[in-house]
Amino acid sequence: MFSFLRRHRELLIVGALLLWPLISYLSTGHRGRAPNFIDRTVLLLSAPVQSVLTSIIDGVEHLGSGYIALRGSHEESLECRTRLGEAHAELNSLKEAQAENARLKAMLGYVEDTVDQEIVARVIGLNPSPQFQSIRINRGEDDGVRAGMPVVTAEGVVGQVVRAVGGSADVMLLTDAASRIGGVIQRNRVRATVVGTGDGHELSVELVPREDDVVDGDVMVTSGSDGIFPRGVRIGVVRAPERPSVGMFMKGKLEPSVEFSRVEEVLVIPVTMGLPSAVLKGTTP
Amino acid sequence: MRFLAFSTLALLLLSLESVLVKTFGFEVTRIDVGLALVVYAALRATTVEGAFSAFSVGYLLDVFTGRPTGLYPALAMLVFLLVRGVGVLVDGRSRASYALFVAVATAGHAFLSVLFSWLTSAAGSGHVLSLSGVPLQVVLTTLAGTAMWPLLKKIEPGERPEPGVLR
Repeated sequence: MFSFLRRHRELLIVGALLLWPLISYLSTGHRGRAPNFIDRTVLLLSAPVQSVLTSIIDGVEHLGSGYIALRGSHEESLECRTRLGEAHAELNSLKEAQAENARLKAMLGYVEDTVDQEIVARVIGLNPSPQFQSIRINRGEDDGVRAGMPVVTAEGVVGQVVRAVGGSADVMLLTDAASRIGGVIQRNRVRATVVGTGDGHELSVELVPREDDVVDGDVMVTSGSDGIFPRGVRIGVVRAPERPSVGMFMKGKLEPSVEFSRVEEVLVIPVTMGLPSAVLKGTTP
Repeated sequence: MRFLAFSTLALLLLSLESVLVKTFGFEVTRIDVGLALVVYAALRATTVEGAFSAFSVGYLLDVFTGRPTGLYPALAMLVFLLVRGVGVLVDGRSRASYALFVAVATAGHAFLSVLFSWLTSAAGSGHVLSLSGVPLQVVLTTLAGTAMWPLLKKIEPGERPEPGVLR
């Protein structure tokens, strides 16, 4: 027995190293495994390297762009002041609307779940494999980030946390082929499912009945029906909706609001399955 | 324990790559630096050391994807065995032939990963779109692999071992 093992040692080692991950892949498919000790160690080692490299590259970029920016700063500052004035006016009217909204909600007895403070995170890397569209951020379990939490920017939805360890987390982008999100057309509340195409910069609009009123340029926001993303966050703009000669549903593309490859900072919303993490903590046995 | 050197180098290169890809905004294509290491290990290292190196590089890439499934260690081992098999027939000792091996392995690796994803995932057709970036990926990986040649020779200066796929 031992002589057989010794004689075929190399064959057995190579066979085991090939078959173990292959069987693991075929049995778990695309669900992926929970991070084990080795995964956590790898991420613990790589996240600081990525953070340092990102800081160095950003520093060099800012140094160069800072000088260029100085040259037109006076005109820019005047423009900024004008815009700030406009923004103040808009903010004021929004505050009025918010106060009115709160009064109306109180009259209707509507109770809204309080959401914890969003977690601001910096993007420190992009996944090196093009088959899985994901980014890595510099906030993880230690900062309250958990798998399943939605991730957004001021422009719109970015994706969903798929794995969080100590000081970093991976976020599956909307463009990933496995991504599905409930959407609604802002203009007329027509519901749709927004699906990642896997090509890195376009989304697909699915499950919209062909007779529904959807036109090129319609803005799609989150519907909240998926239980993951809060309602009303911008997803993108519908492009070239088509109604095929057969079938119940129309087809369409969606141009995302966020340019995923250029995202620098993101906000992680501390809710999982639509519930604030504070609520979940309370229900945890 | 050269495989530890390969693993450390792979970890550093993947970290660097993920930052560069973010900085330069590549959306579909990537530089498959890990694969260049696997090809080098297949052409130069001993069977056991090369196999462990290939496995560890694949494992690291798997962890970097965010959803480790075991696909990339398996593919790295497949590439390792294929390159080792072809290396018996074709001389892979020079920098030029190594670059050719890297180019072919990158294309093969991309097609195999899409094929496996397509076979096993409900959203498989989405992965097929990522193939559009393969030509650029082949060019970038070959250039990166060729640039790494002097460094790799320092880690594993050994010449080609005796013939045989599992030699």
